[in-house]
Amino acid sequence: MRAVVFGPGQIGCGFAGQLLHDSGYEIVFVARNPVIVNHLNRLGHYRVRLTGRGGVRDMTVDGIRAILSSEPRKVAEEVARADVVTTSVGCNNLLAIAPLVAEGLSRRVSPVNVFAFENLGNADSCLKNFVAGSLGDDPAAARHGFSGALVSRIVARRTGDPAQDEPLVFVGDTPSTFIVDGRTLRDPIPQITGMKVTDNYTAWLQRKLFTFSAGHATAAYLGYLKGYHYVHAAVRDPEIRQAVMDAMLEGQKGLAACYGPEIAGNENDLTEIMSRFENAALNDSLERVGRDPLRKLGHEDRLVGPALLARQAGIRPEKLALAVAAAMFFCNRADPSANQLLGQIRAVGPAQALSDVSGLDPQRTIAQIVISAWCRLSEGWQQGNPLLNLEHFFWA
Amino acid sequence: MKIGMLMLRHAPAHRSSVTRDVIRLLTEWDAQVDVIYPEEQLVTLSHVRPEYDLYVLKSRTDMALGLAGALHAAGAAMLNPYPVSALLRDRITTTRHLQAADIPTPETYVTAHPERLTPLLDEGPIAVKPHRGSGARGVHVVWDADELDDIPTNQGPILAQRLVERAGHARKIYCVGGQLFGVRKVWPARTHEEKVGEAFTITPKLRDIALRCGRAFGIDVYGLDIIGTDENPFVVDVQSFPNFKGVPDAALRLADYIYHACQRVVNGLPVLPGPEKEVRS
Repeated sequence: MRAVVFGPGQIGCGFAGQLLHDSGYEIVFVARNPVIVNHLNRLGHYRVRLTGRGGVRDMTVDGIRAILSSEPRKVAEEVARADVVTTSVGCNNLLAIAPLVAEGLSRRVSPVNVFAFENLGNADSCLKNFVAGSLGDDPAAARHGFSGALVSRIVARRTGDPAQDEPLVFVGDTPSTFIVDGRTLRDPIPQITGMKVTDNYTAWLQRKLFTFSAGHATAAYLGYLKGYHYVHAAVRDPEIRQAVMDAMLEGQKGLAACYGPEIAGNENDLTEIMSRFENAALNDSLERVGRDPLRKLGHEDRLVGPALLARQAGIRPEKLALAVAAAMFFCNRADPSANQLLGQIRAVGPAQALSDVSGLDPQRTIAQIVISAWCRLSEGWQQGNPLLNLEHFFWA
Repeated sequence: MKIGMLMLRHAPAHRSSVTRDVIRLLTEWDAQVDVIYPEEQLVTLSHVRPEYDLYVLKSRTDMALGLAGALHAAGAAMLNPYPVSALLRDRITTTRHLQAADIPTPETYVTAHPERLTPLLDEGPIAVKPHRGSGARGVHVVWDADELDDIPTNQGPILAQRLVERAGHARKIYCVGGQLFGVRKVWPARTHEEKVGEAFTITPKLRDIALRCGRAFGIDVYGLDIIGTDENPFVVDVQSFPNFKGVPDAALRLADYIYHACQRVVNGLPVLPGPEKEVRS
């Protein structure tokens, strides 16, 4: 069995690649970077290090190959022969790889499933539309399955220097399942370790985004305001810990009202998520978790999405709104999205910027809670000074 | 991740709980943290090699500084570099460095003979300090020439500074990785509560002074003693890795920062990050 994985990054190698390897697939990675391609071909393997309460488990993913995305003919040949295709390139790069996927699919007689391991709710339809657009009049895209894939694992970092011929090591935590949308798949459905097929994909997507991702983002943005570097440190701060738990609870209550308790989960699930945030072995930096606030403040994304759902359920989403306000202070100069957001706030003011970024009507309750928190935070804010207190918004 | 903490052994009751909590947190985060008591070791100087990814120089004793110097010469990565820690023990050099960086200090005089300070008293009281050390230990406030007789003359040169009113409290600014924390304390502090003090919001002027101090010495974990008013402040002391009493969540913040610094070293980067450009919100 063959799998083509677009994007040998943290999710591509540290999650999809490992599960495909465990399921007996021969893997071909498609990458932009010739250094990585040469490295993977020379060594023929990389490692995945999973850390959790049970300790550390190292696995070798071997028998792999890599090809450059700048060689479309080779890529198309591999896609044409593949039993499954996955992407993990970042949602902004889906458009760039679509012609490569399209060329491969157009050569196929048998259908194949394409799984988008992207942190984007509509990654499957995005990719399918991009591919269909590349195919023009050829209806090939309709013959194949396109699904998003909800990743359960945090893959926080990669170590190993390819220039020194050191094997790449992808460090993540232990969860090893992913969920795909059964309604959009085509037979034959690939057998992959950890894959769960659901007909209620949107609900499961929202469950992940509105609890786990909401908590992760809350820890990142509040932790950044209070001057911490890592998620595991931020959630040791009692105020942040409580805010993270409350934000997840707000999201969970919205989910419960919308989908019922099975999808929403219970407080034990939130405690389990918190214990994953405490995992110091991940070295999960707040800059990584908080990066791209423009996307993360989207209308249906991890903070505004659950806030809207909670509001529909009659919950006042105070902590989710606080996290949104904190995200509007995310001053990571290395993050173009953060700089753009700050620029928008300077140019049009916080209420309009929030409306532009999140689609929140400034007259709506959620926007008003966010802007109220933003205004209180902005009193006493100075670049580089940490926030000392979340209750009174007291700055150092 | 291996971290060596160079410390002075105190009776358990006296050990700073901040440091104890820092070690506990780092250990919980799977860092190997060993406490090294230089006073209790016989060091073969030619065998001194870095055995840890990162050293933290907490003790300021001669023995600790000596060992830190040997480790520095052997290429050890140190959170608070040995040359700066050594320099900061000397008030004369420290004050001159501050002055050279245009950081406001009270008018400062140095002499080997206390009686030479007598003419200064015509313009008001002075604070007389031993040239080595930090904090209030050995500091005398002198109003009259007679009081100069009480100044010890067997501890090397002495430093005198024009007394600036403290308005009943001392202010300290602590820096952890470029983040500043202001703590106001009763001076001299006697009770535990007085020693812990209370947080205050740092004015832009104090912030600028504090950050320039760090840049002047090339350190980012330090403390400053500030006297005077918000409009007219003076720096009278700088400490490398002080006790951080009164800083909210000090242990968590320090542990996070030390972990981050050690991670940088493990990844082949310098201990201190490069200067950041400011971003305005």
